[in-house]
Amino acid sequence: LSLTSLVFLLFQLYYYKFYLSQKSGAVFSKVRGSHSAQDSTRWQVVRKFLGLISSHNIPVYLIDPLILGLVDKDIEQIRSSPDGPSPECKYFCAPRDFTTFALLDKTWKHEVGLFRTAEKMGFQWLKIINKDPRLDGMDDLSGIEIPLHYIFKLASHAIHLVVFYERSGNYLWHGPLRLKQHMDRKFVPFRKLHFGRYPGAYEKPELLLVSIDDLKVQIPKNPSRFLEEMSHSRFLECRYREARAFFQLYPDDASLDAVEFRKKAKSLLHLAALTLNNLGVKFWLSSGTCLGWYRQCNVIPHSKDVDLGVFIRDYKADIIPAFQKVGLPLKHKFGKVEDSLELSFQGEEDVKLDIFFFYEESDHIWNGGTQAKSGKKFKYLFPKFTLCWTEFVELKVHVPCETLQYVEANYGPDWKVPVKTWDWKSSPSNVQFNGVWPVDEWDDVIQIY
Amino acid sequence: MDEWKPNPAVKPHKKRSWYLAWKYKLMNQRALRKLCQTGAVLFLLVTVIVNIKLILDTRRAAYEEEEESAQDYDDEMLNVEVPRRLVSSKKVLDVEVYSSRSKVYVAVDGTTVLEDEAREQGRGIHVIVLNQATGHVMAKRVFDTYSPHEDEAMVLFLNMVARGRILIFTIKDEGSFHLKDTAKNVLKSLGSQVAPFLSWRDMWTFVGKKGGEVYGEKHAKSPALSTWGDPVLLKTEVHLTSVEDAECHWPDTELNRRRQRFCSKVEGYGSVCSCKDPTPIEFNPDPLKDNKVFDVPVAVIAGNRPNYLYRMLRSLLSAQGVNPQMITVFIDGYYEEPMDVVELFGLSGIQHTPISIKNARVSQHYKASLTATFNLFPDAKFAVVLEEDLDISVDFFSFLSQSIHLLEEDESLYCISAWNDQGYEHTAEDPSLLYRVETMPGLGWVLRKSLYKDELEPKWPTPEKLWDWDMWMRMPEQRKGRECIIPDVSRSYHFGIVGLNMNGYFHEAYFKKHKFNTVPNVQLKNVESLRKDAYETEIHRLLGEAEVLDHSKNPCEDSFLPDTEGKVYVMFIRMEQEADFTTWTQLAKCLHIWDLDVRGNHKGLWRLFRKKNHFLVVGVPASPYSSKKPSSVTPIYMEPPAKEEGAVA
Repeated sequence: LSLTSLVFLLFQLYYYKFYLSQKSGAVFSKVRGSHSAQDSTRWQVVRKFLGLISSHNIPVYLIDPLILGLVDKDIEQIRSSPDGPSPECKYFCAPRDFTTFALLDKTWKHEVGLFRTAEKMGFQWLKIINKDPRLDGMDDLSGIEIPLHYIFKLASHAIHLVVFYERSGNYLWHGPLRLKQHMDRKFVPFRKLHFGRYPGAYEKPELLLVSIDDLKVQIPKNPSRFLEEMSHSRFLECRYREARAFFQLYPDDASLDAVEFRKKAKSLLHLAALTLNNLGVKFWLSSGTCLGWYRQCNVIPHSKDVDLGVFIRDYKADIIPAFQKVGLPLKHKFGKVEDSLELSFQGEEDVKLDIFFFYEESDHIWNGGTQAKSGKKFKYLFPKFTLCWTEFVELKVHVPCETLQYVEANYGPDWKVPVKTWDWKSSPSNVQFNGVWPVDEWDDVIQIY
Repeated sequence: MDEWKPNPAVKPHKKRSWYLAWKYKLMNQRALRKLCQTGAVLFLLVTVIVNIKLILDTRRAAYEEEEESAQDYDDEMLNVEVPRRLVSSKKVLDVEVYSSRSKVYVAVDGTTVLEDEAREQGRGIHVIVLNQATGHVMAKRVFDTYSPHEDEAMVLFLNMVARGRILIFTIKDEGSFHLKDTAKNVLKSLGSQVAPFLSWRDMWTFVGKKGGEVYGEKHAKSPALSTWGDPVLLKTEVHLTSVEDAECHWPDTELNRRRQRFCSKVEGYGSVCSCKDPTPIEFNPDPLKDNKVFDVPVAVIAGNRPNYLYRMLRSLLSAQGVNPQMITVFIDGYYEEPMDVVELFGLSGIQHTPISIKNARVSQHYKASLTATFNLFPDAKFAVVLEEDLDISVDFFSFLSQSIHLLEEDESLYCISAWNDQGYEHTAEDPSLLYRVETMPGLGWVLRKSLYKDELEPKWPTPEKLWDWDMWMRMPEQRKGRECIIPDVSRSYHFGIVGLNMNGYFHEAYFKKHKFNTVPNVQLKNVESLRKDAYETEIHRLLGEAEVLDHSKNPCEDSFLPDTEGKVYVMFIRMEQEADFTTWTQLAKCLHIWDLDVRGNHKGLWRLFRKKNHFLVVGVPASPYSSKKPSSVTPIYMEPPAKEEGAVA
């Protein structure tokens, strides 16, 4: 008994020690800092992986946020000496579970040969596929599922390869990482992955071929911008299924007027997005335009204008001249930067572009409205929200991530029912009377052209 | 006593001491044992603690993992795989085959694989091919051998089926009237004893292995011309072979794996599945130098005609400059076999749940396919649109590569099409020549994204409107006076004879004799003169040089043109206003070209070839080119036949 228990104990102790050392290993070797590249499993695995993909002519680029963070600090030096040997292994040797790369879907041909070579090199790999969002918005099309993520594992290190797809609106999209039932949940610690919790939207990056830690690798030309983009890249797909259900209930307006209005609204939105993006002013779909996106994935044909929201901290005086320059004259300006600012621009024919400026308080966000003839002020209250990307009329635009709360605040619980008569002063469920502008300020806060 | 005394005294003492020692020893041992026990307990305790710690750790880790999968990484209950019933585990199949006047059915292991009791449909011999190893249905055909030529199609099909496959035959209604001896002999060679004597309204069922045993045959003779034979029901057993025996042993490559998957599933594709020397499924045609359409997506619109799709994709993938990655096949419906064909060639395919009926269904399928194409290739400015019943010319992409810039630059263009409606064997001549026409031919064409996205998509006919998409696109509201560029010699060939708007007679009359370019790398000669204004200059030059034909002769006769070659001739027909095509339609009819509606005109001018001469027809006075008519010439007027009320147009 004692003997077996002793043996058992020894075994357990050993196992426990092993377990402990494995756990603390990462922490422990982190302290050691830079060391020779050859000793690092990670460096070896990355080198092998880069060899694998270059032998199949697959252009990948590095998007690992931790490495890009380090690279960004030394970017000048790395740019100036693209070929110099590295004295020490600074980037690829810190032991981590993953190194993350990106792959542009259209640049490779899905050859199976890649995976066979990978297996021969000792990699284990996992492919995560899902339905193609580019066909999601379409009635009843079922395509082949597309690969969204690959994981190549060798020894204790894994390469996370994120597949990016070009989508309408000139941007790149990557999918969420969702495991299917039969998949090995312990293949790698999925939770630690930097990409895949949500889908993401990115600009097409310019790439730069650099040599770091004696490895030639493509990186985004401007790593800090990429990292900044990454921090708020979360993408929301339009709710196509619900939109279809909506149109079942309320058939779409297919009249010529509706077609024409949608066309004008779309081109106005494209022009507005271009103008604001050029100024670096962040905006999102607001009011009716946001409702149209959320409810029916399209412009509401009877809405008659395009509504955008902008945080007042992003306000720039150049906004008005910039719009005038692209042929959108100011129609009216209500309020002032300090309070209830609202700009309206005249688009093609009857279509109007409204930009509402939003003011942040500790527990809510609001924007203001002004009635021109009486000088009455109104306040529209919203719960706090963050911004997500989405695609709308072939445009990559922001919407509040917490869209439902936003829409419900604005349109009440019955937002699903189309309403053709809408009074901006009384219909919204979040409107509050907010006093009257002092008469001596009227010239400033009520400007109509 | 003494003797006893000391002894006992000693003895007990001795005994006692021994006892004591023993006791002491015993006690010692007990202590040891106790020590051991304590030790063991301690060990156990430590073990337990260590264990608990370990368990806790693992559980925490597991919990974390679970939590993560629950929170972020779980697929929402999709893709639950339903275990499929495997037929392959069974060695014997029960097959039931029924033949009668109004109904046929075939059941394999109790599962009905064919049932046809529709009236006025499905007449003739039904054939089913089963995989001899798995029992899966690989092909299902019906040959209406009551009608002529269908028996030839059946022979062709049976010859394509691989040896060893299980064939099931059954007749519905009538299957002997046009069943010729050749076909009967083929059936006889399969082991049928009845086939050679099959006659009018006999009922017949047969199950056999190609090139092997017969599993059963039943026959009921028709007693009289006016009546049918009694229904027959054949019940038999088929012994399955091993999977290895049922498959070919091609070298293990990626391509052959695709082939294997295809060939074990479907039948009737001939040499692509031959074990010995199968036909290639990868073609590697020469790339094009400076290929301007390499990145243009190609949408192949397909229905459930997998054999057509197979032929079409073969020709498409053999065309020079093809980029398989840009090809997407859109299948209207959840049909498996077309998808199998798509996968055989390693292309991507998308299935589309059918919406609406007939023409509207086709129209909705087109819309979905075009929208999906531009979604999948958001960078594309154009899309090539093809159909599953077209052969694609070897220089199709070369033709587009040389002309696509026109579509980009010239706003007055509506499309580029590979098809010339009037380009028949006897009316087309010059593969390097292009025209501008006011009609949209379709049948292999290029669509500009902006046209689709800004104009067509938003107002595409809705499902309840039973419109032909192409007729709709030809309407003036859509076309807005824009024109299409077409070649004189078509770059596509319409081979489909079965289809929604198609039948054998129609095909024979209007499509069979269409000219199709087979010359590679044709250098187009007048591309720049196809621009809006340049084309007018070109037409005026042509008309200036053209010789006016003798208008007193009959334009339908060959002698209307002199026996020359390579000259330009012009004739004038009466055309009162822009929409007056009375004479043109009659002329088209007698020239045996497209006369069902007006095609191929440009401002009242038609261009074609006759007897290897360029032949121009000008409608007077509607056409602006009427001014070229010498005053002495009276435009020819041809009256429509009294009963047939002219053109369909």
